[in-house]
Amino acid sequence: MLQASHLTKKFGELVAVNDLSFSVEEGQVYGIAGPNGAGKSTVYNLITGIYSFEGDITFDGISLSGMPPHKIAQLGISRTFQIPQTFPSLSVEQGVGVGSRFGDSDGYDSENVESILEFLGLEEDRNLITSDLNLLGKKKLMIGSALATRPRVLLLDEPMAGSNAHEIRDLMELIRRINKDMGVTIIVIEHFMKVLIELTDKLLIIESGTKIAEGDPNEVTQLPEVIESYLGDAYADDN
Amino acid sequence: MLLEYLDVFISGMTIGSVYALMAVGLTLVYGVSRAFNFAYGSFYSLGGYIAWVLMMLIGLRGGYFMVFALAIPILMVFGYFTEKAIVAPLRKRSDWEVKVMMITLGLALFMDNGYQVLFGPRMKSLPPIMDGAIEAGGIYISNQDLMIFILSITGILAFRWILNNTRIGMAVRAVAQNPDGAQIVGIPKDKIFAATFGISTVMVGAGGVLLAQKYFISPMGGWDILVKSWVITAFGGMGSIRGGLYAAFILGLLEAFVGYWFGLNWVLFALFAVLLTTLAIRPQGLMGKWG
Repeated sequence: MLQASHLTKKFGELVAVNDLSFSVEEGQVYGIAGPNGAGKSTVYNLITGIYSFEGDITFDGISLSGMPPHKIAQLGISRTFQIPQTFPSLSVEQGVGVGSRFGDSDGYDSENVESILEFLGLEEDRNLITSDLNLLGKKKLMIGSALATRPRVLLLDEPMAGSNAHEIRDLMELIRRINKDMGVTIIVIEHFMKVLIELTDKLLIIESGTKIAEGDPNEVTQLPEVIESYLGDAYADDN
Repeated sequence: MLLEYLDVFISGMTIGSVYALMAVGLTLVYGVSRAFNFAYGSFYSLGGYIAWVLMMLIGLRGGYFMVFALAIPILMVFGYFTEKAIVAPLRKRSDWEVKVMMITLGLALFMDNGYQVLFGPRMKSLPPIMDGAIEAGGIYISNQDLMIFILSITGILAFRWILNNTRIGMAVRAVAQNPDGAQIVGIPKDKIFAATFGISTVMVGAGGVLLAQKYFISPMGGWDILVKSWVITAFGGMGSIRGGLYAAFILGLLEAFVGYWFGLNWVLFALFAVLLTTLAIRPQGLMGKWG
């Protein structure tokens, strides 16, 4: 469904992503992990057209190279950011509506907006101004704006960051429902390894923009090179 | 004496309404794209010259209605493609804000010298939009001032309606609040930047058509407008449309009363004195926000 081939991104002398290849199958929950500065968010910026790149990314056989971000969104790839990127002075309903109005190729669909508000448990907050929401509310709204574009692939960038244990459980359940109930393929960047092991079907570990390992999460996290470069001995001892 | 003050007040509100129209356009571009447009005053002159060409050179029939009907699309297209041609390519580079300032400054000089070559250095005048005056309680209000006020306010209300009730208005608000968030939900950010540049060109150009009747058109006449628009924008709070509106009327009244009491030479001095005092006490301007 989504295929990255020999993906490379340089910022001057810095090679942020180095000859990276991976593929995501339809219906999967695909995880990406690695140390800070490994190039995880850069990979998202390449997939969503924010940065240009060397190599190629295809989505259902269509090359995303040179395609602007709004076209990629309309094609069916949406994303969230680690720090919620919402529209502060719009209401919650308007914030979700923006995704439907501009990202859904069929145009604005009030029923879809309504069902997303309900799905996310935001229906009672619909008239709240976005800036008045708490962090979890803003994260849900950002996911709602993305879902309103009717994505086939949703890229989540550290959705658990800053959340407590209860919120992490809620968000994991939400991600599962988006994947199973809505049929959306998920790619998720996360630092919480236990979340990734529970949630994902396949896991990619990168360091300095280079692939270290890819495969079943339980197997990948036992590999010596992954423990050495990312997880550390403490993780190995605990597991 | 009271009647004279009322007369000055009406004059201040009239000029303030046009300043508001123009300042909202400048605030819009800054608020959406963070670009400083130093050719804004030259776009004001462009509006005046388009009206002069249509009315005085070509002899267009239909009065100001036809002038606006033709000038608005011309200004929109000019602003849109100016952004695409000279501002958008810079946006991808480092320090693009400074480069945009420099290139729009260059554009202003190019346009103003172009006006001089095409139309000569002498000032051009336009007929009043409406002759005569109305009298109420001993106060005479010229129909020209009244029409300028009504059309300016109509322009601002139309802009507000577009911003709140149309698809492009929603896109403009979304990009202004979060450009990255906007494009990943399908909004073509670059087109919105160009469209806001076009809309702001229409607003300042329409201001040029309205004020040219009172203050003439000249090749360098836009610089005064550029300075005043920036004073209003900074005074109201960078990027705050509501702040810009309040600031425009306050400074319009200030200009009228300072001109009445001390003479026109003191107007810019007074505007800057108020601006600097305000910024010293409240650096974010009347309604701007930190950060």
